[in-house]
Amino acid sequence: MSQTGIIFNIQHFTIHDGPGIRTEIFFKGCPLHCHWCSNPEGIACHMEVAVNRKKCISRKNCGECETVCPQPGALVFSRGKLHSINREKCIRCLQCVNACPSEALSQYGKEVSVEDCMKEIRKDLGYYKRSGGGITVSGGEPLLQSDFVAELFKTCKAEGIHTCCESSLYLDWSQVEKILPYTDLFISDIKHMDPRLHKNFTGVNNKLILENLVKLSQTDTELILRIPIIPNVNENMINIEATADFILNKLHGHVKTLQLLSFMRLGEDKYSSLNMPYNMKDVKINRTAFQSVVTKIATYMNLRGIHCIIGTKEY
Amino acid sequence: MNASGTQPFDQVYDLGYQVNHLDWSPFPRVNYLKQTFLDRPYEIDLERLKLVTSSYKKHESQPRKIQCAYAFKNILENITIYIYDQDLILGEIAAPAKASPIYPEFSVDWIIDEILHSPFEERANDQFFIRNDSDRKEIVELCKYWQDKTVDYFVRNKLDPSQTIGSQTGDKIFQTNVYQYAGIGHLAMDYDMLMKEGYDGLINKTEKAFLNLSKKDPDYSNKEEFYQAVLIMLKASKEYIRRYADLAKAESLNIDDEVRKAEFEQLSTNCYEIAGGVPKTFWQALQLFNFATTMTQIESNGHSISYGRMDQWLYPFYKSDIASGNLTKAFALELLEVLFVKMNNPTKLKDKGTVLVRNGRGFGGESLTIGGVDNHGQDITNDLTMLILEASAHTRMMNPWVCVRMHENTPYELKVKAIECIRAGYGHPKLFNDEPTIKAMLRKGMSLYEARNYAVVGCVEPSLPGKEFGWHDAAYINTAKMLELVWNAGQCIDGGVFQKPIAPNTGSLETYKNFDEVLESVKQQLDYWCDQICSTLNIIDHAHRECKPTPYVSAFFEDCIVSGKDLTEGGAKYNGTGPQASGIATCADSLSTVKQLVFDEKKYTGAELLQALKDNWQGHEKLYALVNSSKVHHYGNDDDYADNLFKFMFEEYCNHVNHRENPRGGKYSPGVYSVNANVGMGMFTNASLDGRFKGEAISDNMGPVHTYGGSHDINGPTALANSVAKVDHSLASNGTLLNLRFPQEAVSGKTGRDNLVYFIEEYMSMNPMHVQFNIMDAKTMRAAQKNPENYKDMLVRVAGYSAYFVELGKPLQKDLIQRTELHF
Repeated sequence: MSQTGIIFNIQHFTIHDGPGIRTEIFFKGCPLHCHWCSNPEGIACHMEVAVNRKKCISRKNCGECETVCPQPGALVFSRGKLHSINREKCIRCLQCVNACPSEALSQYGKEVSVEDCMKEIRKDLGYYKRSGGGITVSGGEPLLQSDFVAELFKTCKAEGIHTCCESSLYLDWSQVEKILPYTDLFISDIKHMDPRLHKNFTGVNNKLILENLVKLSQTDTELILRIPIIPNVNENMINIEATADFILNKLHGHVKTLQLLSFMRLGEDKYSSLNMPYNMKDVKINRTAFQSVVTKIATYMNLRGIHCIIGTKEY
Repeated sequence: MNASGTQPFDQVYDLGYQVNHLDWSPFPRVNYLKQTFLDRPYEIDLERLKLVTSSYKKHESQPRKIQCAYAFKNILENITIYIYDQDLILGEIAAPAKASPIYPEFSVDWIIDEILHSPFEERANDQFFIRNDSDRKEIVELCKYWQDKTVDYFVRNKLDPSQTIGSQTGDKIFQTNVYQYAGIGHLAMDYDMLMKEGYDGLINKTEKAFLNLSKKDPDYSNKEEFYQAVLIMLKASKEYIRRYADLAKAESLNIDDEVRKAEFEQLSTNCYEIAGGVPKTFWQALQLFNFATTMTQIESNGHSISYGRMDQWLYPFYKSDIASGNLTKAFALELLEVLFVKMNNPTKLKDKGTVLVRNGRGFGGESLTIGGVDNHGQDITNDLTMLILEASAHTRMMNPWVCVRMHENTPYELKVKAIECIRAGYGHPKLFNDEPTIKAMLRKGMSLYEARNYAVVGCVEPSLPGKEFGWHDAAYINTAKMLELVWNAGQCIDGGVFQKPIAPNTGSLETYKNFDEVLESVKQQLDYWCDQICSTLNIIDHAHRECKPTPYVSAFFEDCIVSGKDLTEGGAKYNGTGPQASGIATCADSLSTVKQLVFDEKKYTGAELLQALKDNWQGHEKLYALVNSSKVHHYGNDDDYADNLFKFMFEEYCNHVNHRENPRGGKYSPGVYSVNANVGMGMFTNASLDGRFKGEAISDNMGPVHTYGGSHDINGPTALANSVAKVDHSLASNGTLLNLRFPQEAVSGKTGRDNLVYFIEEYMSMNPMHVQFNIMDAKTMRAAQKNPENYKDMLVRVAGYSAYFVELGKPLQKDLIQRTELHF
């Protein structure tokens, strides 16, 4: 059986998403669209053309994209340089991406086979073995392509490679079950406990996510939980207390570590490359003050008996 | 493991360089000595110049070796000596601490020229200060006496046009500045022998060998002169040490403070004991080491006088002092730290051409090797191994350059300690890999027993202490510049200094019909240029033999004494010459461009590429962008297409140098490193097909290409490490060098430290020779904001996200800096 998946990046020497030195594969497509998302190129399921205006040579001195584009008006220029893509006209034929010499046009997403991935994964086998590392699938939401991930993980396990899946868990439990037998570690988020606010900030209700977390906590698979601490979204103590209650009462503490990830302005350039608005554009934070809020949350969690750290490293 | 320092092996020395933090040492004395060092100016001192000149004038009719010996004696007898406040180890290099003596025996024209036309004081970097105008005049006058007597003069008279045309005086395909204008150095003396025998032992040994010299020996008079010179010099050395003993004794009488008075008395005793005898204590061993070493630097200004395997030759003294209760670990550490600070005192005035490719006012290259295996292959880590790393972390200065030898049984504790030092971000230690390095030593003809005893000399050159005179660092070869001749029918892209071809026409981008022809042309140019370089170096080799033999340091090479031959005459057991290639990745990515775009994809013609180079990419924006993009295969990404071309360049260079013979009866030994000379060499290299503009730095050492147009390695440190490890490093028996940058954030915490341990273990298991790390802290990130072109490879990795720092927007950069400072 030869599965294919759509991914947008394979990153070597990842040291934050799971133990040891890892290779991380980012899958296209996500049912959520969180305001603070740092990988907006992972949201759409299909391949996309991205524009990095800074890299454009100029319409006059290059113009390769215009020459090959079959859709008049799909490429939008301003001040002599490529500005953006008219997504309604673009048919994603990728001819412009192939023709562009400067990577001002690039593609997010490519179709790969399990073997393609394994070839990249195997390059760093020795590093995983020594460090207790392995591979992590992330995205986007990797479990939108759960058959592919299952096949990939199965192959990895057959070769003795540790597997980790970072998922929003906003999908039917049956998708999770497909990969469970081959998964050593799950990483998932609790972004907000309030269903209404959760929907406001991520586009979806949190009911399914919380249910799946409960189910996951009843399996043998290790679970790392994260809270992305976003200013004026979820750092208030009412939400933090509710999160702690959920972890203690519903997950029965079946969480290896709770990791607090402080908000950072990641991905801003990627939003503009896809002509997507960046919702966090106007957020201004006093980093020192914000860090003390995060520290307070960590202290609170630990007092409640939940092993909680700031960042992704144990110490 | 039994070995331990005064602190836990996993003591954290903080993360990253910290501005104005000067009290790293637990010993106030050490912090004070460091501060006094930093406060001293870089002066030029005349005393050596005067003493050596008057002696040569007096002994003009004597054979050269005897002249050298008398000059050395004259310096030691008459030079002003000092004992500095708080110091515990005595001895400088015939000048006050941190002042540079002048060594007119090697070259003087540039000294005269720079004093008259571009004063040392006004240099952009590496300034030196002459104390006053009368000194200035006197230097010029004294130097004039030397103009027809120097090594440099001898060399210039022997070079033919095809040698000079490609050298530093012409198109700079190669540069031999180092040994043409200064001493050779680049050796590790036999400290083990010195510690066991002392100066008296060496004198006895020399006298015995002299007695055995027969007049039947066809080389009798040469050898007689050598022995005489050695004896004059060793005896003068003893007297010189006694001068310090007397001075310390005399000064002790004037000191009221009881503690310091006792120290002066001990300093005096130490000097009396070791003037001829063997050291009886750890302290005396360090004192003898410092005298023996600094006298080498009084004899010649050859740099990279390296300290051998210090944790081995010093250990017997440490062990017996600790066992007898005469020494505490804490005082052993303090002495080491005092010595480490002192090791920074020797400075070397260099010509502006050398300074351009190699910044730094210290002598440079004083490597100190620890760890590794013994002659039988067993790990030899001991207490001193750990204490030396502690002393390094507590002093954090340029010197010594600590090198940790690693092998598959290196104790975990030593790895952790080394990594704690590394991630403190002060640049030491560098890591060496025993397996390929020992293999490289075997290639030089050594036995396995000997090879296992290698120590690092200079930057990365493996050398056998007391046995090998390797002429490491003999010349810089700019392979990127040489490639211009491959593209342009034997002529530089811009026509060159002489506006004519300077090498045979081996084809051009306009004529190559297939990629094999390109590779063949590269081989032919390499062969031609290795002929020019090696024949030039052989002339310089003869020049040192004729003009400036070095009998003093030869006495620390047993084979010299046995054979009656100076080091410059091939007296050592192993005699190498090690020129080093730079810009290999620039060549690899250039070749990749040609292979892919011209021959595989046929998108461009060779003529178009050549025109782009001639136009320095102006008007070729599309091509420029393309060769700097990930659409063209680049070295450093674990991609065989480009990595194989790197391998080709690396191995062809090594094979063209290996096995050539030098005048000392030894063989050439190739190195692949540039240290930071890649920046200076880039300044006079035209545009190259890796997407480099004229004047930009060429690729450094074993590293990948970084141009203004972008970093060519985009797959992270494991991919780069895998690429680097694809070549057989042991072929480069004169060393390879890899710099890796890690953001501080990636190595923080215990997890970060352990990941670095595992990363290094896996890297080493693939048999590369060397790696050193640059840990990027907040200060570095700020510097990167200001000068992004120097920090193109600085990768920042955050959970689920990674990017090059310099390519990020300002707000995120600011965020990352804060993140580093706040440690989250």
